[in-house]
Order: sequence, then structure tokens, then C-alpha cells
Amino acid sequence: MRNKKTGLVFFPAFDWAISPTHPEREERLLYTRDQIFEEGVLDLPEIEEYAPRLATIHDIARVHFCVPRVQSQVTEAHLIAAGSATLLADAIVHGELKNGFALVRPPGHHAMRVVHGNRGFCNINNEAILVEYLRRHHGIKRIAIVDSDVHHGDGTQDIFYHDPDVLFISFHQDGRTIYPGTGFPNELGGPGAYARTINIPLPPGLGDETFHYVVDNLILPILEDFKPEFIVNSAGQDNHFTDPLGSMRFTARGYAEFTRKLNPHLAVLEGGYAIETALPYVNLAILLALAGHDYSYVREPEWPGTMPENPERVARVQRVVEQLRNVWENRDRVDLDKIFGAGTFFQRRKHIYYDTDYIEEEQLERVRRCPNCPGYITIDSRADHGYGHPSRVFCVSIPFTACGACQTEAYDAYEQARGLAQYQFVYLQDKSTDTFLAFDRDKDQEWVSEGPKVGE
Amino acid sequence: MYIGIDVGGTCTDAVLLDRGLVRAMAKVPTREDLLSSLLEALDEIMKGVEGELVERVVFSTTVITNLIAEKKYDPVGLILMPGPGLSPSLYRFPTDTYIIQGAIDYRGREIIPLRLTEVDQAVAELAARGYHKVAVVGKFSCRNHRHEKEVAARVRWNYPDWHVELGHQVAGQLNFPRRVVSAYLTCATREKYQFFVRSVQEAIAQRGIKGAIFILKADGGTLPLESSLEVPVETIFSGPAASTLGVQALTPPGETAVVVDIGGTTTDLALILSGQPLLASRGARVDDMLTHVRALAVKSVPVGGDSVVERVGKDIIIYSERLGAPYCLGGPMPTPTDALRVLGLTRLGDVDRAREAMQMLGAPLGLSVAEVASRVTTRVIETITREIEAMFSRWEQEPAYRVWEVLQKKKVRPGTVVGVGGGAAGFVSQIAARLGCYPVIPPYAPVANAIGAAVARPTLQVTLRADTEQGIYIIQEEGYQGKITERSFNEEKALELAKEWLCKRAARHGLEDCVEGLEVTRREVFNMVRDWVTVGRLIDVTVQTRRGILHHVGAGGTSDEK
Ligand SMILES: [Zn+2]
Ligand SMILES: [Zn+2]
Repeated sequence: MRNKKTGLVFFPAFDWAISPTHPEREERLLYTRDQIFEEGVLDLPEIEEYAPRLATIHDIARVHFCVPRVQSQVTEAHLIAAGSATLLADAIVHGELKNGFALVRPPGHHAMRVVHGNRGFCNINNEAILVEYLRRHHGIKRIAIVDSDVHHGDGTQDIFYHDPDVLFISFHQDGRTIYPGTGFPNELGGPGAYARTINIPLPPGLGDETFHYVVDNLILPILEDFKPEFIVNSAGQDNHFTDPLGSMRFTARGYAEFTRKLNPHLAVLEGGYAIETALPYVNLAILLALAGHDYSYVREPEWPGTMPENPERVARVQRVVEQLRNVWENRDRVDLDKIFGAGTFFQRRKHIYYDTDYIEEEQLERVRRCPNCPGYITIDSRADHGYGHPSRVFCVSIPFTACGACQTEAYDAYEQARGLAQYQFVYLQDKSTDTFLAFDRDKDQEWVSEGPKVGE
Repeated sequence: MYIGIDVGGTCTDAVLLDRGLVRAMAKVPTREDLLSSLLEALDEIMKGVEGELVERVVFSTTVITNLIAEKKYDPVGLILMPGPGLSPSLYRFPTDTYIIQGAIDYRGREIIPLRLTEVDQAVAELAARGYHKVAVVGKFSCRNHRHEKEVAARVRWNYPDWHVELGHQVAGQLNFPRRVVSAYLTCATREKYQFFVRSVQEAIAQRGIKGAIFILKADGGTLPLESSLEVPVETIFSGPAASTLGVQALTPPGETAVVVDIGGTTTDLALILSGQPLLASRGARVDDMLTHVRALAVKSVPVGGDSVVERVGKDIIIYSERLGAPYCLGGPMPTPTDALRVLGLTRLGDVDRAREAMQMLGAPLGLSVAEVASRVTTRVIETITREIEAMFSRWEQEPAYRVWEVLQKKKVRPGTVVGVGGGAAGFVSQIAARLGCYPVIPPYAPVANAIGAAVARPTLQVTLRADTEQGIYIIQEEGYQGKITERSFNEEKALELAKEWLCKRAARHGLEDCVEGLEVTRREVFNMVRDWVTVGRLIDVTVQTRRGILHHVGAGGTSDEK
């Protein structure tokens, strides 16, 4: 039974920045604070503000392979942002809240499974940490993440690409025109999780009307079929018409209407860099929508009114929607061997660029095509930092619902890699037992991290 | 010599302090006519003392509290400029409200211009409905008060004799709805409060007292009585602040303690953290409306010595109301005081009647008199202990907006439980035991509130906000908007400027002595970056005079708290 309150963790991290003039800096949520405080929103009986809390290192290790270790890739601000999302999720699962908004910095949706540094202002993936936390601590299985950031949520996609129980839907400005350059309709998930990844690229300049066409005709019907137990909104706000990084034309009201329709359990702030012209209004509108209040009076000063859309671009979006609906409806009838080959392993090579830290990473990802479980994953990753020798690591990930055979094989793969001199670090992430191992070749040492047992 | 007077709901308490020692104390019943109770208490403690020897009189009063609770004020209309944001239907104020065009944004920039014809229309309608008082409040008016001033001028142009109150003058903090309520209540009570202040001044002058007269505010600071005319609503809820300061004065400096003030029907809880009373993070709730009034964090629990106790089925229940005195004092119903009497924890009243009261409750349940009494006291103690725990966890759950704030949060637990008020003696040791603390019942506990009033420090603060991109600065408390002329304006200069304003403000209130030992309570600087270039800074600085008490009372000490 959902009760009436909406939880808010507001953590603007007023003392944390990537660099003094970087878009991801102290000032980012300053005007949002002013707007929310001045409106008196926090006095509304339907909204309850919570103090933030820190995620644990273990919560991070459940999701990421941080090189060389978690502590070297995260600051306290990262732990607070991720921890705030899990804190609200706890309150939602316990029935204290009907939904929540983690209005936090820093963001996370570009952080992938392997972390060599900062990508797209992100180090660790707040939504992914939340999902694994929900599974481990609350036994929630089917989860949907809908990413409304102008940039493709490539990190979240990467982490759940082979996970059949997590539906990831991202709409964003066409990757040919914006960072990170991915997120096309043909990226649909691996062989074990086909059509659990849905990407809707949008041509630049598109406004609310077509945005809602996508929501009504594709996103909501898919969610209705998938029947997630928990819906997360990766609430990026850089689709706004004033955003300096994106070129879309969404309004605060468009975002609020989307929030009302999606009715997520938890919205987690991602991007959005129009700190004066968009964020105060979009954040307020989303919060009101979550609380079930009237948001029609929230109007940004530069609000352009309804804008005519370019019919040719609208038609393009309609074609993509139709194509993806087809994919979705036929997802159980496709011949996966035809798409992915018939081998025991499916593998793909990835080249990953870390735009903030200038790291070039080469990956070979292999997933076991197992008839009994989603299959374990291995990643051979080499990162070139532009100086010295590239670092090379080997990662093994065992899914939450792994079968015994995959588990045994995965541990073998970890042992084998420990014996290979080319890997500086070898990691094993066993989500089925919540145990994480890391082997440091130089020190000839193994670290073990065992999380709290369920219920603790 | 200092005098403290606390005009409470049932009793008016007064003390005369001479160099940190209690020279005289009085307790008289509070009557309808507050002034006469005040004078009676004053006369009692002044016996044989020359009026000229009194340096200061501080009192806390329920006059505004009562005015508001009993709605004994003229109607006040509202003219609001909420601009974009929350739906105006979410703002429900208890009076006729007119919403007009016009909006300022968070940086004080006009985003929607005013339409003065709408003002004319609103005042015409208000006048037709018999109003002659109006509060004018705009969203973000604390960042730019131009619209409010223009509307006020227009109202006065229509009706020169109307009483107009402006939002930015009553509260400088963000929170529009609270600013509306604060302005509304200020407008409603100012006239009556003015009348009260004049009578007090006259009466005290008649007693030959020439010392300064102060009034205690809800936040535990004092204001010269004359200056309090500007902010009548801030004098609300000064009673709990008085007893908290009293405890502070009666216990060693620097302690973390829970103050438990057990009265007849309510128990007030407050926290002293490392020697300083805890302020509520948001303004006080007044007559069920949220305001900007700064107040100590006080939790009122609806249970006290006179609460009615009844048996319901197999249960014994303590109700929040009072139906007269405890049974042992001739009242009609059993109360926790009767239970204490039976257990020998108080000497009030007749023990046989107390036993009879417990007998009435326990007989149908087959419980002995002693069993019932301990069950009743345990209930009271459990209720109060639970609220104390909740108070601490609420304080720990206060939001934090900076990394360091989150990291430094640690669990602080009190060392002592300090009991004051009538019922304290019987309950405090057991409450303390449950919390693992030492129980303390300080000397003069029954008049701790009056002592608190007597030693409270005057407080003044000034908040400066500078926006160097726009070249402007604001002094929130003064409603002043100035221009920054210096090109090299920075944080240090902002701090200097704020201190200058505080000195000016202190001089205006006759408090020149207080500017020593100023505290900087807020210091925020944000670089404003546009297109990778720093275009300016937002600087927020709050400076205030030292908070707290003038000195501790008791063991002969006059040691000024350093
Ligand atoms: Zn983005
Ligand atoms: Zn398997």
C-alpha cells in the first residue's frame, strides 16, 4: 500500500566540484535550493526531507570494478549521492514513502562497470548501485530504469546489458550530435537480455509534444508489459530548452508531465547544466509532480510557449517508435543465435573514452550463454592514461541469480587470471553471495570484501 | 541588580538577582490583566530595594501568544505576488487574499512587472469588506523589495491611514509562505502590542526603576522593550526559552543536557548542546501556521502532573487534559501527582486521598495501590523518555548540504537530565536512569524561568548578501539594498561591511556594549560561472552578537561565561 509522502534528499554538495569552472561545480544546485526553500515546498505535509547518508564501499563493489580499488575512484561526495538514493529506496520499500527524489550531486549515469576514472562527470553509477542494493537488501527482482537525460545513459546500459531482470530505457539527443555518441535503436541488450535495453535517439531541437509521443506510445506500453516491481528515473534535466550542453527543447512542465505519467518510485538527479534558467524550475516541477501537486504554475521566465515541431523530425521519431515497438513485441520470437551467433560465449570489444580524465580503454567483454541463468561475465580491460604503461585488469562478474555451474566456472576464470602476469589486478564480483575479491599482483595480495548479510 | 519576570499561563514568577545570587523570588497567579500580575510579582521581590539599584528588567510574556490564540485582533488582508511556482491554491491563508501580477527571481531580478491597477482593485475590495490593515508580500522579496514597496506606496496613495506591513521587513530568510504568515501576524498584533508596551513602561517607571527594560524572544535572546515593537511576533513562546536559559544558568558551562520542564498538563523538553540551547532549524508554528519566528527547539509533550488518569478496560490511560487539581489536592480525578504521592516521591497533598485515587483505578484490575502508582509513573516516564529520544534523532536527521557537514555528524547523547517545574522532583531521576544520565534538580528550579529571563543576553544579527555580478548587496534584517561600488569587493570586505551594519543596528537599539565578541554564524561564497568564466560571486555572511546568558547563577559566582 502506497502512502502519501514523497521523500526528498537534497544534497547539493556545496563544497564539491570537479574543477572551479566545470559545469559540475558547487553552484549547480544553488538556485534550486533558493527556489525550493522560497516556495516553502519542504513545509508541505506531502513532502518529507531526509538527511543524506553514505553508501558503503561494499555497495560500490557490488556494481563496479574500480581500478585499482573503490577508494581511489570515489570521494565522500560520491558515497553520499549514491547512499542518498539507497536511503530513500529503503523508506519506499518499508512503506514510509510512496516515492522519492534524490536531488543529489555528483551524477553517475556515464559510469560503466569498469571504472578507470571520471567519464562524463561520473565516477560511480548511482542508479546501478541502487538497483543492486534493492536486489540484495530487499529481494526486489524486476526493476526498470528510465533515463531522461539528454545524454545517452551509456554507463547504466553497460552495467545491465546482459541482465534480463533490469529494463533500461533511455531517450536522448541523437548520439551523432552529442556526447557520448552511443544509444542507437540497434543497441538492444546481449543475448541473455535481448530487448531489455531500449534506446530512443531524438533529433536535436525536439520539444515536449514529440517527447510525450514517445512516452505515450513506447515507454509506457513497454513498462506495462514488463511489470517492474520498482521504477527508477535517471532524471537528467539537460533536455531543457536552455541547457548549454544539449540542443533539445523540453520545458519544466514537459518534465513534470513525464514524471506524473511515469510515476517512478525514485527519481535520481543526473545531468542538467542550465543552473539558473532550468534547474530551479525543473527540479521544483518534478518534486511537485512526485508529490501529486499541481505543477502548472511552474513556468520558467524564458518559457517560449508551445513551439511548432519540424514535421520531418517528428516523422523520424515516429518511425523509431514504431520500429522499437516491433522489436519489443517480437522479443520472445527472435532467433538469438542469428543475431549473436551460436557460441557458448558471446563477446564484444569496446573502446571507451574517458572525456574528463582523457583515458582510452580497450575492453573485451565475454558473457557465458547459459541456459539456466544470465551467465557470468569476464572483462579484459586495458586503460591507457597517456603516460607510462597502460594498466591491464581482468574482471569476473557473477550475476545475482547465477547457477552453480556458472559460479564454479567464474571462480576458475578468476584463479586462472591470477596466474597470468599481464594483469595488474584481477577482480571477482560474486553478486550471488555478495562477496568481492581483488588481487593485486605487485603486492601479491588479495582483498576480500564481504557485505552485511541480508537483514543486517 | 537584575530582575527576571516570566508571565506564564498560570503563574507569574519573578526573581531579583544580585551579582549572580538570588536575592528574592516570587510566584503569583497570572490574572487576565497581565500588567497587574507583573506588578504584583515585581513589588514582592522589590521589598526594601530601591528602584534605582535595578540595572535591567527582563520579562517574558504571553501577551502576543494570547492575542493570537484568541484572535483578538483586527482583520488583515493579504496582497501577494507569488509569481511562478507552486499553485496559489496550495497557499491557504486564513483571510482574504489577493494575488496580483509581478515576480522577482532568486537573484532579485524582476521577471514579471507589477500591474498597479490590480493593487487598486484589491484595496477597493478589501476596503469594501471593512479592512484597514494589509500585509503585502512577494516571493523573493528578501532578495529585492522593490515590488513590495511599490505596492505599499500604491495602497497608501489609496488609503493613507491604512496599516501596511511588508514581507521583507518581517523576515529576511527564504520561505515565502512563512513570510506571509509572519507579516500577517505582525500586522495583526502590532497595535495591541504597542499599547501593552506603553503600559509596561509606565508602570515600571512608577516603581522608580530607571534601568533598561528588555523582553525575551522565542530564540532566547532579549530585545529592548522599545525595539520589540518592530517585531512583536518574536516575543511569542518566550516561556520555554526562559526555562531553558534558566537551566543553562543553573548548570555548569559546556554541558550537554536535556531540560525537562514538567508542568501541570504539559512537559516541555529542550536540549542544551555543549552549553548552548538548540535552536529549531525552522521557524515556529504559531496558531497552527508556520512562521519565520526563530525559536529554541522545544518539544511540548501533552502530559504533566495534573493530567487525568483513567482505567479503560484492562488498561490505565493518561489523558492530555486537566480537569482540575490532583485528587490528593482536592481535585476530581486521579493524576500522576497522586501516583507520586503514594510512592513517596512528592510531599504535595494528602496521602490518604492519593491512595484512594490509586485504589479507584486499581481495584477492578486487582492491582494494589503501589502497583497502580508505579504503573502510572512508568507510563509518564516512558512517554517523556520516548520524546527525548525522538528529539535527539530528529536533531541527528537534520539535513546537511555540504560534504563536511555530513561527515562531522556524530551521535551526541546527553550527560544530564535537568528537571525544573512542579512535577520535576518525582520523575526526573527515573527519566535520567532510563537515558543513562545523571539527574539534576538545580536550586531555584521552581523559578528557573524567571532566572533565565534575568540573565538572557540581548541578541542582534545581520545577514548580508552580496551579488558582485549585479553589483548589489542586501542587509536582510534592515531591508536595505545597496550598491557595491568597489571593484575588488570580496568575502573579507563583505564581512567587514556586515560588522559595520551590526554596529549601526546595535547603536539604534541602544546595545553598543553587545558588539564585542561578534560571531560569524554563516559564511558562504559561490563563484558564478557562465561559459567557463567566473562572472561574479555570491557572498552570504551572517554576523551576530554573542548568544546565551550573561552569567551563571548559584554557587556565589558571577563568572561571566567565556
Ligand atoms: Zn546529461
Ligand atoms: Zn549459469
